Amino acid sequence: MAAAPHENSRNLGPYTQITTPSKNSTLSPPLSPLANVYSRFSSWRAALGLSNPGTVENLQKEVKTTHLTNFVFDGARADLMKGLSMDPAFQVTHSFQLASQSTPPTYSFGALFANAKVLLQGNVDHEGNVSGRFQQSWSASNTSKVQAQLGMQPGHTMIQLEHDYSGQDYSLNAKVINPSPLDGSGIYVGSYLQSVSKNLALGIETLYQRAALDQAEMSSSYLAKLTGADGKWIATAQFQPIGVLQATYWHKLSEKVEAAADLQVIAAPMRRDAIATVGTKYDLRMSTFRAQLDSTGKVSALLEQRFAPSFAFTVAGEIDHFKNAAKVGVGVMIESTSLTPEEMGMVPPPGQPHF
Amino acid sequence: MPSEETKERVIRAIDFGRTVLHYGWIPFIIYVGYTRSNPQPSLIKFAFQFPISL
Repeated sequence: MAAAPHENSRNLGPYTQITTPSKNSTLSPPLSPLANVYSRFSSWRAALGLSNPGTVENLQKEVKTTHLTNFVFDGARADLMKGLSMDPAFQVTHSFQLASQSTPPTYSFGALFANAKVLLQGNVDHEGNVSGRFQQSWSASNTSKVQAQLGMQPGHTMIQLEHDYSGQDYSLNAKVINPSPLDGSGIYVGSYLQSVSKNLALGIETLYQRAALDQAEMSSSYLAKLTGADGKWIATAQFQPIGVLQATYWHKLSEKVEAAADLQVIAAPMRRDAIATVGTKYDLRMSTFRAQLDSTGKVSALLEQRFAPSFAFTVAGEIDHFKNAAKVGVGVMIESTSLTPEEMGMVPPPGQPHF
Repeated sequence: MPSEETKERVIRAIDFGRTVLHYGWIPFIIYVGYTRSNPQPSLIKFAFQFPISL
């Protein structure tokens, strides 16, 4: 008999569980007023029906995937990818890059293993520099991440430890970069993002930097995210009191077209600068096209065309009108697998060659 | 404050850990991927099938 209401409350989710009388009765009597207040507060909070605002790291994710700044390249590149297993995912990649204006030719080998809980990723280039990433999901709301860069020269090492917690209507993140157990030096970042209404989320990010000789520096930035009805548009702002403002706006115009704008203003006493960027992205059946224009006079475009499920061709171009410079990039991506189509869980349409 | 000797030891331990991670990370992923994959790829296939073997 007594088990029935408890079972019901469990179905409501982890946050409403505490409101059940069976849970309260397990606490010691002197603490029960506190527990009462807490349970009222949490049930009031649950009644607001706010959703999780997403992580601070992904605040501008939509804008970043619409703009091509993170995808553009110059010269020639080839990525050969081989999938060895689908579930869990295991793949190795060979990447070649040459004829770039800014970077020397490189070859790198990458390996990736991922299942529902763990992600292991590593990359090594021809000079022996290793970069790696490790992610472990402890539960639906807790994720730990480690990122490292290990160079051949002693000074080129970076390690970043990170933990993400996403609550019902807030997200917390703690990050440590290059901590030293001896003198406590390193960079420590903490961030908190809270939904305050159905559409608005506010947050703060604090960075504490400690150099080896007891010099410490602390700076905070304030975040806001406004989401339109049914997620059609997202506006974000990030403000640092030293005088840096970054505002973005992203709009999903249709199922296949997205547009994004980004404005960065620096109004520090030493430097005054502003850059505005607008871009669009078209997702077509076999290709993705991105175009972008910014206030420094750069016009760029990127086309990713998939000719077959395992063969993609990429063309990137950028013209800097103010500096009279241009960059062109051409890339191919070939995926192959040792698995049969049945093992991958897909059957290619007849007449389509599969590799 | 830790003594000089402890400091020395910690620095050496960190250095050692970094070297292990540097040379062991990629082999570790390949080992994990190879042993956990489903279906398990055969080692001969893995060694000789260069990614472009179409």
